[in-house]
Amino acid sequence: MRQRSLIAITAALAAGALTLTACGSRDDDGGGSSDSGNGGTTVVIGVDAPLTGDLSALGLGIKNSVDLAAKTANKDKYVEGVTFKIEALDDQGQASVGQQNATKLVANDDVLGVVGPLNSSVGESMQKVFDTAKLVEVSPANTNPALTQGVKWQTEKVRPYKSYFRTATTDAIQGPFAAQYVFNDAKKKKVFVIDDKKTYGAGLAATFTEEFKKLGGEVVGTEHINPESKDFNAVATKVKNSGADVVYYGGEYPQAGPLSKQIKEAGAKIPLVGGDGIYSADFIKLSGAAGTGDLATSVGAPVEELPSAKEFVANYKAAGYKEAFEAYGGYSYDSAWAIIEAVKKVVEDNDGKLPDDARAKVVEAMQNVSFDGVTGKVSFDEFGDATNKQLTVYSVKDGNWATVKSGTFTG
Amino acid sequence: MSRVGPVEPGEGTHVRDAPPAPRPRRGPRAPYLGRHRRAVTGALLAVAVLAGGGSLYLTRPRSEPPPAPPYPSQVTAVAYLYPQAADVNTAPRGFTFAVGVTAEFGPPVTVVAISQPYAGLSVTSSPRTPFRTKPGSPRKITLTLRVTECGKVPRNAGLPFLDVTLRNTRAMETHSFILGPSYARDLSRALQVACSNDSR
Repeated sequence: MRQRSLIAITAALAAGALTLTACGSRDDDGGGSSDSGNGGTTVVIGVDAPLTGDLSALGLGIKNSVDLAAKTANKDKYVEGVTFKIEALDDQGQASVGQQNATKLVANDDVLGVVGPLNSSVGESMQKVFDTAKLVEVSPANTNPALTQGVKWQTEKVRPYKSYFRTATTDAIQGPFAAQYVFNDAKKKKVFVIDDKKTYGAGLAATFTEEFKKLGGEVVGTEHINPESKDFNAVATKVKNSGADVVYYGGEYPQAGPLSKQIKEAGAKIPLVGGDGIYSADFIKLSGAAGTGDLATSVGAPVEELPSAKEFVANYKAAGYKEAFEAYGGYSYDSAWAIIEAVKKVVEDNDGKLPDDARAKVVEAMQNVSFDGVTGKVSFDEFGDATNKQLTVYSVKDGNWATVKSGTFTG
Repeated sequence: MSRVGPVEPGEGTHVRDAPPAPRPRRGPRAPYLGRHRRAVTGALLAVAVLAGGGSLYLTRPRSEPPPAPPYPSQVTAVAYLYPQAADVNTAPRGFTFAVGVTAEFGPPVTVVAISQPYAGLSVTSSPRTPFRTKPGSPRKITLTLRVTECGKVPRNAGLPFLDVTLRNTRAMETHSFILGPSYARDLSRALQVACSNDSR
């Protein structure tokens, strides 16, 4: 009897070992790698965002939200036989660092998609690297229209890179939407326009200015600031002397906060208005009490209005991330989920495993991805832009951003 | 020897018969309980059954409450369709456009008001507000815009929009619908025509 039991146990152990070996066999054909821990293939979703420095509040919200998407897919076994992992790289908000990160992510065969970056200028530097490697990139935050519609987007839209997609709305809508609100609703007629000379800031300021003028508004002054500086007293004095009743700033919150404060200190008690780049809790910290009444437009509808976002907010909280998901959390989750959906399609179309040309197939699949995400319906148009184009105006009230008005582009 | 007790009980060592147990004392209600013992037992059982049932009811697995209906702005689409020919009632300073309003899902949505942001322009709709839209049943709405002051109307705005106040069982909210380049182009043309012979 004892001998018979021994044989049975040995046979069972052997069978188990063989099964594990079969599950963990390396899939050399299709990218991704074996994962001896869970069995199946590991697919890496790259993340590129500013994880340190001034813009890290937004960047860490992006990273955490992608992490949550990967964990959710793994927990639900959403793509059979595939375990998702993330590899997050810090671009420090610098285009050159972003480009190096792109090269690094391309070199990792397990990476089948990348979420990021935050800054349009960084996105610009990464696009070609990813496109050459046929590696899909989905930005949750780039808003410069040229990234998807080409530099001549105002007259002749041409998509420059097939591998680039984004879930955020573009500044072709955000700038004019802000101008309409400032002119018609806030009844401000004289604007002083300032930007940080970067791709995002200058582009947004330009689309705002054009629409503001068309509406009959007057631009009483323009200035560029150095994003490395925090001393804007000279510009603040010019604003004070211009007679402007509103300031529009194209740039990000690390500069916008001190700029708003210094403008008010100079004696111009007028609101500063910016885009999604200033829509952060850190703007309110930096501008202090003087920031009350300042305005920002940001991509998407307010999270509390989206039933689909409720689960995301609860899961994010439950996951215990230290940092808030900030302005782009929902868009980052949706960007990562779009990659997961594309991988799922590619795997299912190839008898349950990744094909040889998995990256190229994921790019193709991304074009037809469609699902109900955190931010609403997620799908992409012929340029790689999100089809869901919503924007919201927020105002600083009692130390927080309060929703003022939302709009949807339906053209 | 001293440790050995008497083999036979001596005098005075007989165990006395135990006195008869006293009869239990009966309270003043004893006769009543005695007569209604069955009824009391039945009542106690009924109380126990009720308590058990109540406990089971209170600890029963409960289904999740139904999710709250969506906000009306998140389920309503307003899309520009086309310009309509002006008639004698609207020309020369008025013009009409057709737009489609669709409630995609959820409870019916009432369009409470439609407005546009320019000071020199007014808008009315047919059907007149308020009107209701049922989910999945698109409605074609005719908007009639009239120029009241050409100086207060932008002639070539890039992204003009309509402010639409919507209400459903969840909320009432005003949402901007940016109708896109076709609406912007047609609106600009109509405004230029309407204000081309402006003598004011």
